[in-house]
Amino acid sequence: MNATAIPAQRLRLHEDVVATLIGLSIVLLALAVTSLARPADEPASRARWPKGWPTPLAATIDKPQTWDSSPLEAIRDKQGRNIALPIVLGMGWVLLVAVGGAVLGGQSAAQLLPGSAAVAGLACGAYLLAAQKLVHFYNLEYPLWALLLGIVIGNVVGVAPWLRPALMGEFFIKTGLVIFGAEVLFSRLLELGLPGVLTSWVVTPIVLVVTYWCGVHVLKIPSKSLCMVISADMSVCGVSAAIATGAACRAKKEELSLAIGLSLFFTVIMMVAMPPVIDWLGLDPIVGGAWLGGTIDATGAVVAAGESLGKEAGEVAATVKMIQNSMIGVIAFAVAVYWAGWVDREAGPRQGSLLAEAGRRFPRFIAGFLLASLVCSWLFSLSPVNALWIDGTTTGFTSRLRGWLFCAGFVCMGLQTNFRELTPVLASGRPLVLYVGGQLLNLVLTLAMASVTFGWLFRKAVEP
Amino acid sequence: MRPCVRLLMVVIGFAAVWCGMLPMLRRLDFVALHIERMEAGGVNPAAMYYTELDRLPVRPAWLEQRIVLWP
Repeated sequence: MNATAIPAQRLRLHEDVVATLIGLSIVLLALAVTSLARPADEPASRARWPKGWPTPLAATIDKPQTWDSSPLEAIRDKQGRNIALPIVLGMGWVLLVAVGGAVLGGQSAAQLLPGSAAVAGLACGAYLLAAQKLVHFYNLEYPLWALLLGIVIGNVVGVAPWLRPALMGEFFIKTGLVIFGAEVLFSRLLELGLPGVLTSWVVTPIVLVVTYWCGVHVLKIPSKSLCMVISADMSVCGVSAAIATGAACRAKKEELSLAIGLSLFFTVIMMVAMPPVIDWLGLDPIVGGAWLGGTIDATGAVVAAGESLGKEAGEVAATVKMIQNSMIGVIAFAVAVYWAGWVDREAGPRQGSLLAEAGRRFPRFIAGFLLASLVCSWLFSLSPVNALWIDGTTTGFTSRLRGWLFCAGFVCMGLQTNFRELTPVLASGRPLVLYVGGQLLNLVLTLAMASVTFGWLFRKAVEP
Repeated sequence: MRPCVRLLMVVIGFAAVWCGMLPMLRRLDFVALHIERMEAGGVNPAAMYYTELDRLPVRPAWLEQRIVLWP
């Protein structure tokens, strides 16, 4: 018999589709596993489960903990338990996502396995650098060290040929972003009522749009995506907003690295400088807390600065920041629509109506991110039991996994970064001027709005 | 210079800064005070998003006695 060999046809999906499929599957899996492990004891009690239901998946992933003088301290958690295995499994999740991406994207999984293991190892190294106590408590987050590690190794040691197929930085970021959608809960937007809505929904978009417009038209920075990423990380919430909007407007990795570097540098300064300034101005703790929450980029830094002002200011600051955090979904969607419908359309040939072109160019993984966000927001708002289910899933598993994926993505970006492309823009100092100018506007408008809403208009006349 | 030698130099460089210099700086009075205060308050200043905080932010109950949330 003359058998004819039929070549096996590989599945070859677009990277955006693969990231969306893998991201959504992971969110669904996490929700299902957490739901099956619903606690029998008071499942609707926030006091009993402050961070949501414990999920069994938490045992499969963790990251190095803070350490002082020996990195070996990093494998012990706060209770003194050895967490070496969950850390190794965290790297395993990165490897699994890389292999899944390769298989669905039509690449050879075997070819990228050694490189992906190296990327996961470097991501662990970046987490270890970020976990040193001085670095950790001054808010120098892991993306900075992941980028630095990648840049140093890429430029000093070089990128070996076996490592190249594994440099899937954009894919890791896109998949992480879809998973991140589960944490972006629209229901949180109304947590502080009308004063919170006015402080976040009014000031943040104004600062974002004005800063972007000044970057493009006044400072004449050649890259619109650089202006957008700087404006978003400064006005919304730092690194996470930079990642989401950078993906929505397809910013170059060098632009994202620059925006993150600027954000982290000024976050440290503001975290240390703002509490004494608030004390010196003699601001009311509620107004001071709202000012901190609306202006300092990073969430952790807001809480740290709020803590040094006192309990009341700290609680208000953290809640205002959480409302801003929840705006990422709306902002990323608006940026993706604007880019697809206007910026890209102006740059390329026009092939149809505005709506049709916007639909064609809209990044598919942003749709996945929004879907995860909408579904989790809806589930969260149904009942207190559901809210604890969603919180347990996100705090116990999905936030950790997207952290590992972002970290691996930044390592890949660092290994591929060519800062020479940005040298002319950097030398002009215009990105720095844009950030500082935008942040000054943010400081003035947020203080004005917080004083009007929290300090006067919605203040109860008789205080206890 | 061979890549493995360069890699070793990078590792030594990072180890010298992270295991030598940073622990020394961490003992400066104002740094030690900042870290002590953060640890005592259970604050995670490195949180990128609110889900990474040690305590999830919730609207403080006292706020509704001082502020009209929905007029």
